[in-house]
Amino acid sequence: MDNLGLDSSRWGLVNNIIVAIVALYGIAVQDYRVGDASVFQKGMVEVLAPIQRGTLSMQESVSYTIDHYFMIVNTSKENESLRKNLAGLENEVFSLKEVQKENERLKKLLDFGKEIPRKKVLAQVVSWDSSNEFKVLRINKGEVHGLRLLSPVITMTGLVGYVYRLTPNYADILTILDQNNRVDAIVSRTRTHGIVEGHSGFTCHLKYVSRTEKLEIGDTILTAGLGEIYPKGIKVGRITKIDKENFGITQKIEITPSVDFHKLEEVVILVEDATHAGNDFSVTKKVEL
Amino acid sequence: MKYSPQDIIIGFFKTALLLICLEIFTSAFLPAVGITNFKPAFNVLIILFLAFKLDVPFLPFLILLFQFIHSAFSIEGWASGTFAGILIALSVRYVKDMLNFSTPISTIIVVQIFQLAWFILVAVILSLKLGDFSNFIFIFMKYVPESIFLSVISHHFFMLLDNFWQVNRKTSGATI
Repeated sequence: MDNLGLDSSRWGLVNNIIVAIVALYGIAVQDYRVGDASVFQKGMVEVLAPIQRGTLSMQESVSYTIDHYFMIVNTSKENESLRKNLAGLENEVFSLKEVQKENERLKKLLDFGKEIPRKKVLAQVVSWDSSNEFKVLRINKGEVHGLRLLSPVITMTGLVGYVYRLTPNYADILTILDQNNRVDAIVSRTRTHGIVEGHSGFTCHLKYVSRTEKLEIGDTILTAGLGEIYPKGIKVGRITKIDKENFGITQKIEITPSVDFHKLEEVVILVEDATHAGNDFSVTKKVEL
Repeated sequence: MKYSPQDIIIGFFKTALLLICLEIFTSAFLPAVGITNFKPAFNVLIILFLAFKLDVPFLPFLILLFQFIHSAFSIEGWASGTFAGILIALSVRYVKDMLNFSTPISTIIVVQIFQLAWFILVAVILSLKLGDFSNFIFIFMKYVPESIFLSVISHHFFMLLDNFWQVNRKTSGATI
């Protein structure tokens, strides 16, 4: 069988140089704050995200089966049919309870932020970024549902992040936990300004706050409304640690986000309608499920 | 070692399929069961395998393709990993004769060393992009737990990839 005839070290070196230059160019133009998905990436996401979504559903079914059916396997034959009926009913009750819980969650989610005059698009979390370094969520709504880049994303408990990358049916959300996401924020009690930046795991830092500001543990942090991404007044989190060193002009403040990212299932994306883009929030809001 | 286009295409598709399955496992399954802080970088393990065991001139393009697949699952993108992968592959060429994959322990040690080199490179690139080196150690340390896990499974993982790329057949002198 013929080989490719390209196994000389010279060709290897040329290939290395070509790809290294392309990669360096890629690094130079890559923006970690707003993503520009290529046609290939869009295609990949559109094809693979449904599988990610399916994995999530499959996991729920497997968990349910393990929790509810494995106990029945070893029961006596006499009770088999009765237990199957019971399992069926339990399944039905469980499903109804899940639907009820979901309805309650969604209702609360939609009620939250009523005062924010923007179109609200409800979405489910499909997956997380596969790299530990980036705190990014993938949701099951995209361009065709009216989402736009940089649209803010919230839940009923507070701020999640903004739309970083869009494909027709899916979107990636850069959460406030990511160090590339910076939120202009104010401390609710003192009206002190600062920048919230993702730090480690599931905490953030409030940066550029003067040492002279008298902040306290438990103080609530809200979005300031500057920066043209997030509306004013959305809860970001609360201060959990303040470290005033003997040197420097700022203090080190740790924030625990008000959103529990471990249990995040649904989010709301706030989309500015073209009809009231900018700061004109007088148009009646719409809700899309 | 000589590879026909057919060998390369079959090896590539099998490995790409494996990478996609593992990326879905990491990005969707682990978070669904509540594990959101542990995300092994299987793309790194695959590229290290290619660098260690595949002596073909178009290796950089294979690295680029696997990083492109990875970029569908992570905003890390393809560029930084491709650059790090090429540098690692070039450095492997100079020490290849000293590398030993015959025992699990030797594989674990070699993979761990090169993974650390990879993550230092990626942490440097990321810090340069952010314009802030204050988090460099922190970014690097984030990769360590997963890298240990990947090193531990590397011996068996490489055996699987050996099958995909028919490495043993090639190195034992079989004519293709």
